[in-house]
Amino acid sequence: MRPAARIFWILGVFFALVAAAYGTVTGVYEPWGIEMVGLATVIALSGLGFLIAIFLTLTGRHHSFGSADSLDGEVEDEPGVQGSFSPYSWAPLWASLGASLCFLGIAAGWWIFAFGIIVGVYGVLLWVLEFSRGQHAH
Amino acid sequence: MSTQTPVSTTTRSAAPDRFVKSGSTGLGKQIFNVLTTTDHKMIGILYMSLAFAFFAFGGLLALGIRAELWEPGLQVVVSKDQYNQLFTMHGTIMLLMFGTPLFNGFANFLVPLQIGAVDMAFPRLNMFALWLTGFGSVIAVSGFLTPQGAASFGWTAYAPLSDTTFTPGLGGDLWVFGLALQGFGTILGSVNIITTIITMRMPGMTMFRMPIFTWNALITGVLVLMAFPPLASALLALGADRRFEANIFNPENGGPILWQHLFWFFGHPEVYVLALPFFGIVTEIIPAFSRKPIFGYKTLVGATIAIAALSVTVWAHHMYTLGTVMLEFFAFMTMLIAVPTGVKFFNWIGTMWRGSITFETPMLFTLGFLTTFIFGGLTGVILSTPVLDFHIQDTYFVVAHFHYVMAGTVVFGMFAGFYFWWPKMFGHKLSESIGKVHFWLLTIGFHMTFLIQHWLGVIGAPRRYVNYLAEDNFDWLNQVSTVGAFIMGASTLPFLLNVVLTHIRTEKIEVDDPWGFGASLEWATSCPPPRHNFHSLPRIRSERPAFDLHHPEVAAQDHMLEQEPAVNVRTN
Amino acid sequence: MIPQAPQRSRRNSRMAAGLALAVLFLAGCTAEQQRGFMPGHDAGQVTNQTERITNFWVGSWSVLVLVGLMIWGLTIWCAIAYRRRKTDTGFPIQLRYHVPLELMFTLLPVVMVLTLFYFTQRDVGEIERHANEPDMVVEVVGKQWSWDFNYVSEDVHEPAGVQSFATGEEGAEESLPVLYLPVDQNVEIRLESRDVVHSFWVVDFLYKKDMVPGFTNSFQVTPTLEGTYSGKCAELCGEFHSDMLFNLEVVSQEEFDAHMQQLEDDGYTGQLGVDLNRNQEEWSMREAHEEAGPRVREEADQ
Repeated sequence: MRPAARIFWILGVFFALVAAAYGTVTGVYEPWGIEMVGLATVIALSGLGFLIAIFLTLTGRHHSFGSADSLDGEVEDEPGVQGSFSPYSWAPLWASLGASLCFLGIAAGWWIFAFGIIVGVYGVLLWVLEFSRGQHAH
Repeated sequence: MSTQTPVSTTTRSAAPDRFVKSGSTGLGKQIFNVLTTTDHKMIGILYMSLAFAFFAFGGLLALGIRAELWEPGLQVVVSKDQYNQLFTMHGTIMLLMFGTPLFNGFANFLVPLQIGAVDMAFPRLNMFALWLTGFGSVIAVSGFLTPQGAASFGWTAYAPLSDTTFTPGLGGDLWVFGLALQGFGTILGSVNIITTIITMRMPGMTMFRMPIFTWNALITGVLVLMAFPPLASALLALGADRRFEANIFNPENGGPILWQHLFWFFGHPEVYVLALPFFGIVTEIIPAFSRKPIFGYKTLVGATIAIAALSVTVWAHHMYTLGTVMLEFFAFMTMLIAVPTGVKFFNWIGTMWRGSITFETPMLFTLGFLTTFIFGGLTGVILSTPVLDFHIQDTYFVVAHFHYVMAGTVVFGMFAGFYFWWPKMFGHKLSESIGKVHFWLLTIGFHMTFLIQHWLGVIGAPRRYVNYLAEDNFDWLNQVSTVGAFIMGASTLPFLLNVVLTHIRTEKIEVDDPWGFGASLEWATSCPPPRHNFHSLPRIRSERPAFDLHHPEVAAQDHMLEQEPAVNVRTN
Repeated sequence: MIPQAPQRSRRNSRMAAGLALAVLFLAGCTAEQQRGFMPGHDAGQVTNQTERITNFWVGSWSVLVLVGLMIWGLTIWCAIAYRRRKTDTGFPIQLRYHVPLELMFTLLPVVMVLTLFYFTQRDVGEIERHANEPDMVVEVVGKQWSWDFNYVSEDVHEPAGVQSFATGEEGAEESLPVLYLPVDQNVEIRLESRDVVHSFWVVDFLYKKDMVPGFTNSFQVTPTLEGTYSGKCAELCGEFHSDMLFNLEVVSQEEFDAHMQQLEDDGYTGQLGVDLNRNQEEWSMREAHEEAGPRVREEADQ
């Protein structure tokens, strides 16, 4: 966790510095003052960096992520089941079809949007409940 | 580093595939697989197929553009608006439907293999992202089927030209919403890649032992997270303008300048989203065929991070002529990018230096990439200074520059990657002899097309002109370029032939590493790998576990040499 | 395995020969080649800025070509000298780091970049400089797909421009709208747009600037050579973008005055302002920017 978090700390600090420099330079030298669009986006970037960095640092503190960061990690350190992976799924297709019909609907006609909502709701329900029914029922 | 043979095996398995459908074999089964798969390798190959299909389509549009410019007057297109549609869709397709999905394709296929994971972190989200990319691309391109045709405001869609006042028609709406949709696909795909790399590395695979391709995929993913949300917001705002008269980009409110800032805030990092993964690909290939480790691994990682961070702070260098940007700030930041890029070049050359180089097709394409990309980099330095950019901005010089940079990395990098990992993807090695024909045709065609466009731009040919004055005397320059473009187009045929012949003729590959000197972990499993990637995993003690596994004697000596670098192990 | 020593001496002599060839080559260059293929005229510089830009261009390219040749050379050298021979077995030295070398190849580009930046900021300041009182002011209004030229100081204008309908046919050039400028006068060119973003580019001036709706752009230039120059719109502005062309006539002061008189006699008085646009709103950005003024302003009068 820690090396990964460090990258995002670096990015956060870097963009904070760039934002400060950009704001100052445009504010002082440009006749129309601080350039707001770029300043706002660079500040947002800095926020993004800090957000991910803080998240990674905090999760790294409370959870163990195995010996991936250990120089002497052995394959035997993490035996057995690696996690639960869906072997196949229809849900992504239906959900994305729903999303696509909605976007197409905004561009081309609202009636398509209505179909998109129906398909999309089906897709999302399928996705969420896929491993809670049938043989997986609780 | 351990001096003993770094082989150690144990089983790591995914949850048992309790309900893999034992459906019928054959076509039905294959269609079922394509529609529902959650296997990262299959999804990667689907991404690449999607990208390649759009590459072919975008290439055909480009041939239309080049044919039209053969001589003054209209030859190919019926109306000038049709020509605008051609270059708009060519740019959109090549950047967002070819280059970006291709990154997702390579990253999907390779990242879990290279870090010893069983799959991506979110397999279903992975497939969802692929579908969004695919459907979004189809929606954007479907403008060609509408009565007024596809979008025609350039892939940059400058406001207010992209508003319905100046570009009415469904084609523009489809373009806006299709791209917004497939942008979400790209963002979700990157979230998946980043999560996978951070959380699913195998024991001993520390960050600084990851293959450079995986590093570059990680950094590209971060770059996507930084660049695509501004695009999504800009596109949705433009969509609101077009569909609901929201007036966000109305000139009354300074809309044209707002759009350019937002668009290029996406647009410049996007260039590096396309470039970095392919830098990663060539960085995997050069050591394998030089029989050396990467020279300056950590420097290379640092350079990549520096390029990514700088690339989001230079957006307004596309807007030097706008009159409202801080020229010196952006010139300085832009020039700084040359430093880490230069470092990368020296590391690539350093890897080949005193190596033992063979010239299989992947290595040829890599050398093609090096020689092409450096020229794009040099013209990039020229363009970074406003003094010169004022003249060559929006001319064919810029067109030539970004084709050297973009096509130089993406196209050469893609073919290098295809030839290199084809055995890993399909279990067959592509023919070397046809591959060489392919390489030389592509290289000759490419340089013939784009080198001459630098002159064209300098003497006064603006880009996106369907026509030029008879008095301009651009004819012969354009004709050379057009001939080159058709040679380049034809170079795809040997590749397709190669794919077909290879799969008919050749034997399946039985060894893990058909090239013999592969470094990263994907060369330590079968070709193609099993459903969950590995039956056994080697111990990770350096940044090239597969090499250590297959050449334990060098791995041992390598360790010894770190104390005594004077000893030469080259034997004749 | 690699015969280092003899190779090096041979390379030195080869380098000397190369240098001699380069000198010969440069001496035999045409004026066009000495300009680095930048547009220009043998009769003299077209504006007060073109010499600066051309020198910058040639200077940057000379350095960059050297850098390029070095990298191409190294790549090709690697490919030839370090190719695996049929007889080769085993592995080369597995070298991973060489810190001094890497530091050098980081610092060297830094120095080059700083040099380039120094010259850039120096010349950009000169090119973008605005004198407080230019000799004359011309307002150019871009519209889909032509130009309106207003002579502000003289309060006359050229007839409203129309797009080129014959682009690609012989003689189309003569039908284009024309802007007249007097030679050796510092002209402020104000750029406006009535609809979409255009870009005002006179090829031989080696300079262009965007025309943005809702915002007045401007630059100052002193043409120093009489002649006819071609002008183009450089920013995609719609279907007939490639027909948005004009000619620039740089003439002597007398001819220019005569032309102004002619326009006045023909009744082309007043201005074809930006307010003739199809969207009738008042564009509020303009006032804010006019108050702010140009980026690089001359402190004292010239």
